[in-house]
Amino acid sequence: MSLKIPTGEERPAERIAVIQIIYIVIIVVYAIKLFSMQIISGNLYRSKATNITQRLTVIPAQRGEIFDRNFNQPIVLNIDSFAVQITPGEIPKEMLSTVFQKVADIVGISKKSIDLKIPVQYYRMYQPIDIAVNVPFETIARLAEHKNELPGVNWRSNPIRNYVDTGSLSHIIGYVGEITKDELKLLYNRGYQSGDVIGKAGIEKQYDEFLRGKNGREIKIVDVRGKKINNEDNTIKESPEMGKNLVLTIDRSMQTLAEKALGERMGSVVILKPSTGEILAMVSYPWYNPNVFNKNDIGATYQQILEDPKKPLINRAIQSSYPPASTFKIIMSTALLNEKAYPPDKTIECKGEISYGGRVWKCWIHKPGHGFLNLQQALAQSCDIYFWVAGRDYLGAERIIAYTKDFGFGELTGIDIPGEGAGFIPTPQWKERKFHEKWLAGDTMNMSIGQGYTLVTPLQMANMVAMVVNSGVIYQPHLLKEIRDPVSGAIIRTIQPNVLHKSDVDPSVFQTVRENMRSVITEGTARFPMNIKAVEIAGKTGTGEVGLADRWHSWFAAYAPYNTENPDDQIVVSIIVEASNSWEWWAPYASAIIFQGIFAQQSYEEAVQTLGFQYLMPLRERRE
Amino acid sequence: MNIKRLIEIDFSLFFSTIILTFFGILMIYSSGINSSGVLVSNEYVKQIVFAVIGILIIGVLVIFDYRRLYDYAEYFYVFFLLLVLYTVFFGKLVNGARAWIGFGNFGIQPSEFLKIATIILLAKNLENSKRSDEPLKRFIIAASIVLLPMAFILLQPDLGTALVFIPIFLVASFIAGMPKRYILYTIFLIGFTGFFTILPLWQTHILKGSLPFLKIFQNLKIVGIIIVSMTLISGIAWYGYKRYRKNYFYWIVYVLSFLILSLSASLLAHKVLKEYQIMRLIVFMDPYIDPRGSGWNIIQSITAIGSGGLFGKGYLLGTQSHYRFLPQQSTDFIFSIFSEEMGFIGGLLLFSLFLIIFLRLINIIKTTSDPFGAYIVAGLSGMFVFHFLINVGMAMGIMPITGIPLLFLSYGGSSLLTALIGIGISLSIYVRRFEH
Repeated sequence: MSLKIPTGEERPAERIAVIQIIYIVIIVVYAIKLFSMQIISGNLYRSKATNITQRLTVIPAQRGEIFDRNFNQPIVLNIDSFAVQITPGEIPKEMLSTVFQKVADIVGISKKSIDLKIPVQYYRMYQPIDIAVNVPFETIARLAEHKNELPGVNWRSNPIRNYVDTGSLSHIIGYVGEITKDELKLLYNRGYQSGDVIGKAGIEKQYDEFLRGKNGREIKIVDVRGKKINNEDNTIKESPEMGKNLVLTIDRSMQTLAEKALGERMGSVVILKPSTGEILAMVSYPWYNPNVFNKNDIGATYQQILEDPKKPLINRAIQSSYPPASTFKIIMSTALLNEKAYPPDKTIECKGEISYGGRVWKCWIHKPGHGFLNLQQALAQSCDIYFWVAGRDYLGAERIIAYTKDFGFGELTGIDIPGEGAGFIPTPQWKERKFHEKWLAGDTMNMSIGQGYTLVTPLQMANMVAMVVNSGVIYQPHLLKEIRDPVSGAIIRTIQPNVLHKSDVDPSVFQTVRENMRSVITEGTARFPMNIKAVEIAGKTGTGEVGLADRWHSWFAAYAPYNTENPDDQIVVSIIVEASNSWEWWAPYASAIIFQGIFAQQSYEEAVQTLGFQYLMPLRERRE
Repeated sequence: MNIKRLIEIDFSLFFSTIILTFFGILMIYSSGINSSGVLVSNEYVKQIVFAVIGILIIGVLVIFDYRRLYDYAEYFYVFFLLLVLYTVFFGKLVNGARAWIGFGNFGIQPSEFLKIATIILLAKNLENSKRSDEPLKRFIIAASIVLLPMAFILLQPDLGTALVFIPIFLVASFIAGMPKRYILYTIFLIGFTGFFTILPLWQTHILKGSLPFLKIFQNLKIVGIIIVSMTLISGIAWYGYKRYRKNYFYWIVYVLSFLILSLSASLLAHKVLKEYQIMRLIVFMDPYIDPRGSGWNIIQSITAIGSGGLFGKGYLLGTQSHYRFLPQQSTDFIFSIFSEEMGFIGGLLLFSLFLIIFLRLINIIKTTSDPFGAYIVAGLSGMFVFHFLINVGMAMGIMPITGIPLLFLSYGGSSLLTALIGIGISLSIYVRRFEH
């Protein structure tokens, strides 16, 4: 049976022999290489490793600082903080317990927590172990006084992030924390290591690459137990490189103004420069204090923030979406004019209500209604009947949807902080899929006044106004203005405006829409409180139904100055005050304060004074 | 099906496998121990479970006739190909590649099993085509069977695993009597692609300057012109060959075409690969050019191996490894911890066991009467040797870091099972070597 089968042409014996020789050669070559490494140069490597190994200490790089657009005072900086370390091997055995107790008393932690970090097996180790972080300088000074009684106790610098009076900036800036296992898996190849501090939200996360800098390191030659060998020149040191400084588009004074104007009301304010897409202010209430993420007991506080029913971690300006309500009539006006669907001068009669589809549709003003209105008057008075009829009979769902898309609703604006929501635009196909119901003319009517399924974020709302102001262009909104060198302050990169949307709508149409938006202020629903002297405002109110009898979402989307030679002067303000607050019709008031403050260069208090709002009585009934 | 088959197996092959797997478990246990002697990882328990499962699978494969694989070859191939495609989009991201399908805490790496499935289909195809098809057509079809899985795995992207398919293809088709010029062509093509890919980085990091004549490879325009003109020349030469039947025309096309292909492939590689990936491919030439990054692993690994000496530092007594200087000890660098603790004697024993496996596989190729079986074993031997060559070479600092495991020893269920299945199929072929 041991006779060999002739392999023949399909497996020539010499080919098999070639493969066999290759395999043998590989093994032999590797054996020789192993011999040369372990036997011939073995001593060389052993001197490197047997008793002496290299110990690497990472020197953390300073994270870059973050400034507002005026580049004067940092919003975020690094403060010195210390970590206390114990090297157990350096403490004589009989002293261990007393040293632990003393350190615990001075630092203000329990001895038990030290015992947990340094179990008995570690007692002979010469490796420093962190027992407390974020220790202030005073404590270190007291440790230093007792240095003689505390062998093996040391400290190292451990800079932490300090957010100076960030207030509502917390949503923009974000915060940092130690890299998690999941993040490490994703970022392993980009040079991150466990123990690194990484941005977790906002600008800190988005631009972590620039902010983080490059860690330095120190390589010491130590013996197996981690004890430093006292040779004179055996330490290699590489200095860390500081991260880049970031300059934001945010104007701190406008941010404060907007923050105070919104006050303690759930909602959001976005102030945008339409000519570039720069965001000058972005407030979302409630906000959180990013410094809590630096504390030693981060777990409990974080849990508390997570469980807060007001959800302070949500950035409402980009993550929450709301029905646009009557502000949507700006898009309707643009569509009606550009499509020439209904002559702008021809009137439609508002009798306060109409019947359609088996129900009565009531305008926000009850009987006898607005009377005969043309397009401009309908926008100024925010007449629902006009837009119901015009949308249903003259424009139709398809065209309304197309224009809504044209204004950038339902898609991400691409703002440079993570977590943005896209809002939503309903379509007949979507309704069919979702509810197995046909799209009815009633749906078109709902959509025409910004109710129903359409949802937009406050930032998208600001973009809608920017489109009108720029006569058909939306620039991508952004928060980063410049990247600067941390040492010289030289500008490394300036962010250029980037067109996000370009519309084919005739510029003259936008001119008319702007005139109509101005009439909202001069003769329409927002005459009081928006017709201020400091600047000419143009805008549109919105009052969103949310199913509550006495409270509504309050929108205001506006820009100023209404007419100007220099587009760089113009700003867009978009405000939402959620229905969850008590009803005050606050959005127009807040906008008035913001415009007054910016254009009269007044503080919040001065602006309120000038406008006389301090005498304001709370409103009770619905307003448009 | 016959239980008696179990005592007819090639025991030297089988026991070499078992001993290597056992060594692996020992070293994985060792790598889980930290500097203060505390066990911090239970990887070794998982490895024992996989080893037991793998040995049971070997038994099953020996009892059942491997010829059944012939009938299902396409199904296995397509199934694992689709699984790999699935991971490309929905796989778990581990160390930058989507190669895993996770079930809770468990993960499998379908690309490992795809290697076996590809070997089987390749062997089937090589057997079927050996008389009927003309050589060029046979070569192209066989190459496509291997290229498809490679492309999918590159999308994950897992360069190391994709490269394993090359030796599988080369050894199997060489044994299957593919014309030598095609085999050489493949080797040239791959060699030159690698050369052109690492050339620019080799210049900047190792040469620290540039040779004027090499500069042309960095200029995209010039490379484009070269590619186009070479394509034209080879077109003309091809016409010449067709018309005049002169052999030198054939060789002009032969040389030019692999130059064109490898130049274009290197351009593609520079587009697809990140710089750090290419850096990993070249740091082995001089780890000190990047001692903080990729070089660190190599320096630590070499130090660990070199300090092992003749008898090693003793089991569980390695210093480099237990003090955590060595990265990925239980997977990529298991050979380093083995050599540090077991020394040159241990290393020789390990090499001998691998050599026994390789030679016994060659013996099966020689003796089996069934070409299908012979080609399978040829492909498998290519896989085993390549893993050994790259992984051990990487640990010794003479091969690029591609992160492929040392079969039988490295921690990892998918790679261990793949290796044991490979041995199981080989044994199944061995016991039926006179029957088909």
